[in-house]
Amino acid sequence: MADDKSPPADNPYTQTHLVQSGDTLSKIAEKYYGDASLYTKVFQANRDVLSDPNKIRPGQKLRIP
Amino acid sequence: MKKPSFWVMAALTAVVIAGCQNQRAPAEQGVAAAESSLTTIRDAAMHYAPDQLQAVDAQLASVKDGLAKGDYKGVLAALPALNTAIGNLRDTATAKQQEADAANDKAKDAWTPMSTDVPKMVDAIQSRVDILSKSHHLPKGVTKDSLAAAKSSLDSMKSAWSDAASAATAGNFSSAVSKGQAVRDQASQIMQSLGMTSG
Repeated sequence: MADDKSPPADNPYTQTHLVQSGDTLSKIAEKYYGDASLYTKVFQANRDVLSDPNKIRPGQKLRIP
Repeated sequence: MKKPSFWVMAALTAVVIAGCQNQRAPAEQGVAAAESSLTTIRDAAMHYAPDQLQAVDAQLASVKDGLAKGDYKGVLAALPALNTAIGNLRDTATAKQQEADAANDKAKDAWTPMSTDVPKMVDAIQSRVDILSKSHHLPKGVTKDSLAAAKSSLDSMKSAWSDAASAATAGNFSSAVSKGQAVRDQASQIMQSLGMTSG
């Protein structure tokens, strides 16, 4: 999203999530934001490792802005 | 007993006056030197040993009063103690200044990592607050109150951080670290309240 102001990728205080089997970005957004529709925030913050919001792999460490 | 003659009394008086005049110059010079010596350390003394400076000022005022009254002998007798007091004041102020400088150097070392860490904490909180503000529901463990508190704290943290950075810019690293640590503590609390500390 154009108005995203996610912390830079090297911010050590940005929370991280280790992707588990069965995780989706929506589930992750639900867990951290209480709202699955905010999955795009997670996707935008991890564009360097994710090319498709529907494709995440167990073991990936995602930034949660 | 025969009274001393007029001429004897006059001669004695002349000797006493001459003696006083002999003491006047060293008394005046001694007071001027003491005052000058005190002037060179006054700023440091005011900052690091104000009570001791006040006592020395009182001592100097007393000596100058003696000088004004022509008590040169008394002035000369009081000068060694005054000079010792000024020397002690110099030693105290110098020691305390060195102590403060050392503390400031240590604080400068602490400020360097803090100056990059704390803004990152604030940025991370700002980002989370912005996102949670758009959320229709809050995540487990995060309440409306904690989100509202985080929002209002962000402004005060930014303001406090600005003060800390200004202190650092002015070279007052002890103050900068003290203020910066307060922001860091507050940021840690907020991160905890927003559930940002668990993976």
